[in-house]
Amino acid sequence: MAKYKQGLAAIFLTEEQILEAARKTRERGFTKFEAISPYPIHGMEEAAGIKRSWIPYVTFVMGLVGLSAGLGLTWWTSAVNWPINVGGKPLFSLPAFIPIMFELTILFAALSSVAAMFYACGLPKVNPPIIDKDLTCHKFAIFIPEDDTGYEESKVQEFFKSLGASEIKKTEF
Amino acid sequence: MGSSNHSVSLSVKKFEPSQQLKTLAIALTALGFLGFVIGFIKNPERMWTSYLTAFFYVTCFATGGLFFVTIQHVAKAGWSAGIRRLAEGFTAFLPVTLIGSLVLLLGSGKLYQWTRPEILEASPLIASKTAYLNLPFMTLRLIVFGALAIIFAKLMVGNSLKQDQNGDESLTTKNTALGVAYTLIFAITFSIFSVDLLMSLLPTWYSTIYGVYTFAGSIQSTFALLILIMLYMKNKGFITGYVTIEHVHDVAKFLKGFTVFWAYIAFSQFMLIWYANIPEETEFYLMRAQGGWMVISMSLLILKFIVPFLALLPRGAKRNEGHLVLVCALVLIMQYVDIYWLVYPTFFDNHVVFGFYEVALLAGFVGIFMLTVMKFYQTHSLVAIKDPRMHESVNHHVSY
Repeated sequence: MAKYKQGLAAIFLTEEQILEAARKTRERGFTKFEAISPYPIHGMEEAAGIKRSWIPYVTFVMGLVGLSAGLGLTWWTSAVNWPINVGGKPLFSLPAFIPIMFELTILFAALSSVAAMFYACGLPKVNPPIIDKDLTCHKFAIFIPEDDTGYEESKVQEFFKSLGASEIKKTEF
Repeated sequence: MGSSNHSVSLSVKKFEPSQQLKTLAIALTALGFLGFVIGFIKNPERMWTSYLTAFFYVTCFATGGLFFVTIQHVAKAGWSAGIRRLAEGFTAFLPVTLIGSLVLLLGSGKLYQWTRPEILEASPLIASKTAYLNLPFMTLRLIVFGALAIIFAKLMVGNSLKQDQNGDESLTTKNTALGVAYTLIFAITFSIFSVDLLMSLLPTWYSTIYGVYTFAGSIQSTFALLILIMLYMKNKGFITGYVTIEHVHDVAKFLKGFTVFWAYIAFSQFMLIWYANIPEETEFYLMRAQGGWMVISMSLLILKFIVPFLALLPRGAKRNEGHLVLVCALVLIMQYVDIYWLVYPTFFDNHVVFGFYEVALLAGFVGIFMLTVMKFYQTHSLVAIKDPRMHESVNHHVSY
């Protein structure tokens, strides 16, 4: 299992606070922090400085791989390995192959996107540390791991207080 | 709210078309009438084929705009509240659709084989279809199509305009019910309209997917036009804040989706006919695979699907205005080529013709479309300002 990092977490009670907190945490130079929320928050990408995911590139490349795989499969089975005359059509009949190529494009792209998403999120997480059980319901948190640049426990404590955190916890995530 | 970090200043100005735009619209309309009159006397067959192509092409925007408005109401969409009025403007052309389809009947003798007694006599196959393919019934169908579109546009757009004045939220609820009804009506009447106007040009041939095919192209091009108008209104400063790159991005997603949908339907139609290889079905594609028509057929595959699809794939491309203008222009041109490809091979075996009549009649309908739609934009607010879902649209934000 992946190892969890030690660090400090601050609990917030409103969406405005967590957005503000995420923005200030980023502005202070922290890069490895996590903003935790029970639901997607508009504007969080900019506030927390989250870059675009690399998953779409996996989707695109695997789509192309699927397309070629479909072409290869239909060509090899229909024209090379077991040629059968179907309705007098040429053995290599692209229009008949396109549905297979399309399906494999979608199949490869979709499955590899899901796999990439699992990998990117570090799933499956069995028994993850629980910072606060209400984070899946109505509370929000910022977690800064201790290996982040410029981490100093007392300063982070003070920083969280200045952001108006309702609770500060030493925990792992 | 979450997007409070975006400070939005909102304003809508009254639309006033520039003098060049007005002159252009009038000049195009005049050219159209000139082409109509000259063609009527000198070369009626070419004139009527041009008329049919241009008429169907422009009608697709009017009904497409109404369809966009309809699905926004059915889906109770919030994101599009700020841009819906621009699409509502397209429906100002609908009365011309009704009149234009009746004018088209003047040319039915030149266009539709099934109106000619000598053909009916020679071909029992075509004669057996006259229970459906006859002029009185076709006239009735065209009137029903045009009238229903006008009525529903009057009701739905009318409610939206009324809401501008009194802010009554129940009008939005009423539009949802109207939208559900018109979704069904549109599916049926637009299919019949396409079959009557375009598919019956070759009365021995049939394709059950035909209505979906024309629908897919129609909506694809409507989104392209909508993007161009949104960018125009935004960048000329008529609308500030209500239309942003976020809305453009979402309409561009729609454009990409319908690009794929069009290709999917086009290929479905082609592959089944190609695979079954039955003579009465293949004639349609044989005509389009001979001589110069093969070039047009391939250009549809490449320029109406592959190029726009790849050009709209990256997220950045859908948010790049200059890039979008080029893609939308390509889609609009290819939609004309598509309708042209549906009409012309029936009349011109083996050789591609394009000239004065095609340009003039297209100019005419585009000119009338500009005049009617600009008049609508001038008379009404460019944004449905009192829409109860406007806050959603204003704060609309496409996440990664």
